[in-house]
Amino acid sequence: MYSFIRSLNYFYTMVYRQVKRFLRARSRVVVSIVQPILWIFLFGMGMGGVFNFQNPMIDAFIRQQFNGLDYMTFLLTGIVAMSIFIGSFISGVSVIFDKQFGFLKETLVSPAPREIILLGRAVGDSLVLLINASIVLTLGFMISNQLRPEGVLPALSYGFVLSIGFASLGIAIASRMNSMEGFQMLMNLLIMPLQFVSGIFFPIQRMPDWMQIIAKINPLTYAVDGIRYWLTGRSEFDPMIDIILLMILSIIFLVIAMWSFRKATIED
Amino acid sequence: MSDPVIETIDLVKKFRDVVAVNKVSFKVMRKEIYGLLGPNGAGKTTTINILITLLKPTSGQAFVDGIDVVKSPEKVRKKIGVVFQDPSLDVFLTAYENMYIHGKIYGLGGKELERRIKELLDFVELKPFADKVVRYFSGGMRRRLEIARALLHDPDILILDEPTLGLDPQTRNKIWEYIKVVRKERGITILMTTHYMDEAEFLCDRISIMDHGRIIAEGTPEQLKSIIGSDVVLIKFSDSQKPMCLDNDLDGAIISCRSVSGNRVELVVRDAVKTLPRIFEEYERKGLVIEEISYRRPTLNEVFIYLTGRELRDSLEDQPRPIHRWR
Ligand SMILES: Nc1ncnc2c1ncn2[C@@H]1O[C@H](COP(=O)(O)OP(=O)(O)OP(=O)(O)O)[C@@H](O)[C@H]1O
Ligand SMILES: [Mg+2]
Repeated sequence: MYSFIRSLNYFYTMVYRQVKRFLRARSRVVVSIVQPILWIFLFGMGMGGVFNFQNPMIDAFIRQQFNGLDYMTFLLTGIVAMSIFIGSFISGVSVIFDKQFGFLKETLVSPAPREIILLGRAVGDSLVLLINASIVLTLGFMISNQLRPEGVLPALSYGFVLSIGFASLGIAIASRMNSMEGFQMLMNLLIMPLQFVSGIFFPIQRMPDWMQIIAKINPLTYAVDGIRYWLTGRSEFDPMIDIILLMILSIIFLVIAMWSFRKATIED
Repeated sequence: MSDPVIETIDLVKKFRDVVAVNKVSFKVMRKEIYGLLGPNGAGKTTTINILITLLKPTSGQAFVDGIDVVKSPEKVRKKIGVVFQDPSLDVFLTAYENMYIHGKIYGLGGKELERRIKELLDFVELKPFADKVVRYFSGGMRRRLEIARALLHDPDILILDEPTLGLDPQTRNKIWEYIKVVRKERGITILMTTHYMDEAEFLCDRISIMDHGRIIAEGTPEQLKSIIGSDVVLIKFSDSQKPMCLDNDLDGAIISCRSVSGNRVELVVRDAVKTLPRIFEEYERKGLVIEEISYRRPTLNEVFIYLTGRELRDSLEDQPRPIHRWR
């Protein structure tokens, strides 16, 4: 019991650090809120125009392609998931910045169990991302009338599981990297494809077969689909299956991350 | 003497083909300030990293307060406070927040933590900057904050890796002061590394001189100097003459001789008081005019040259190295 309270304390401390640190870096706050909003406005309105024919028949047909949603709503719900996904992955990989700037050593020589440190980090960053996502969502409610307020909390809890999963993946990868050069490469080689093959921008059922296969093994797909379900009531898969798969994948990533973080020395 | 607080036995660490630490054995006694002195790449930081559980040794053993660092790293971590060679503060947080987080992950909390943070920030003269973000701190302020942080959880053992690297003389003196006070008032054991001889000489009770991963000599500064067992004599000749060494060692009284800058030669002699008159005589016979002559006890630098045939290049008077190193 005593050690549980103590662990909780370590955990809370790391959450505190991540949140504080995020809020201090104002540019990060701005970017992580403004970026999704830019996607929604610039991409959403641009593409939305392409799909708007001012003809009830054609418009209804096109909606059918997007789970029965207008393109703006379809994209918006996907972008909420995307902002959490990118944010959490970057937060995980940012362990490498701590490695470079030394703070990691400070936590590695402390008596706090490394698993708790890692969990605290992931949850701290996740909290920030969920708050950002809520801000983006508030805006979403202003521009779309297909969103359900009662779905916000379940959608955010899907977002939470998503963020723990990808923060863990980021940490697992960063524990094996020792330079920032790899950072940009990861961004392009991992984040880009995952976000395009996940149903954020276009529905999975209309993708070519080979792409659908990739989409189905992409954890992000299930987060996008589940979040979209709760926010709009429309989805491609069963939302229960979404959350179960998402949880399994997140737990696997978390275990891998804990394993590599526990073994982390400063050698590599 | 009591049991050693830190002990390493034949410690070896290899990185691929580099042997960074090669059979290093030493003991640090309670309340002692023990120094590892050596040039860049001697293996000081690697030795420290093994002791603070950040690296696993390739072979050999290391104990901190009797605890095996490989078998029970968690227990070791509770005992030690560490100041790393490279910066390790969170620069986006304030001085107070850095201290607070450290306290919390060492299991402190509440009013007691608050009181200790204030006391230690005061000790390193950073109290007025408690709520400033560390990004705007100078190198010296950061170092002082790191020292305060390492002391926050009241460790039995303080480990300092190059505590004054790249700092200006004024800041360095302050840090020396802190280290002395800490030992005196808290009675903790301190293991430190440095490549400044003057620092080792001023602070350390005992020193190990390291080179190429090995300890090549150990002892108090005085004992180390007596390895040479001799004095250093500096002779300046008048400008018209080329400085030269004698071809005669005066029956073994002169141990070594070399030309140094400023038209001078530097002799290492067994006993300056007795040898000086004979040196005068000998040079006179050769027709050389000595303009100035002086002698002093050898420095650790000369001990290092004597042991390795090389210069322990860096001294405090040299250019400070930048504090941040990219690995
Ligand atoms: N992680 C590593 N991987 C490979 N080689 C390493 C690593 N760390 C240290 N070395 C090598 O081990 C040797 C000893 O390095 P170490 O950092 O222990 O020396 P040091 O005495 O602390 O020197 P300095 O005064 O520069 O800090 C060096 O040759 C160094 O290049
Ligand atoms: Mg070093």
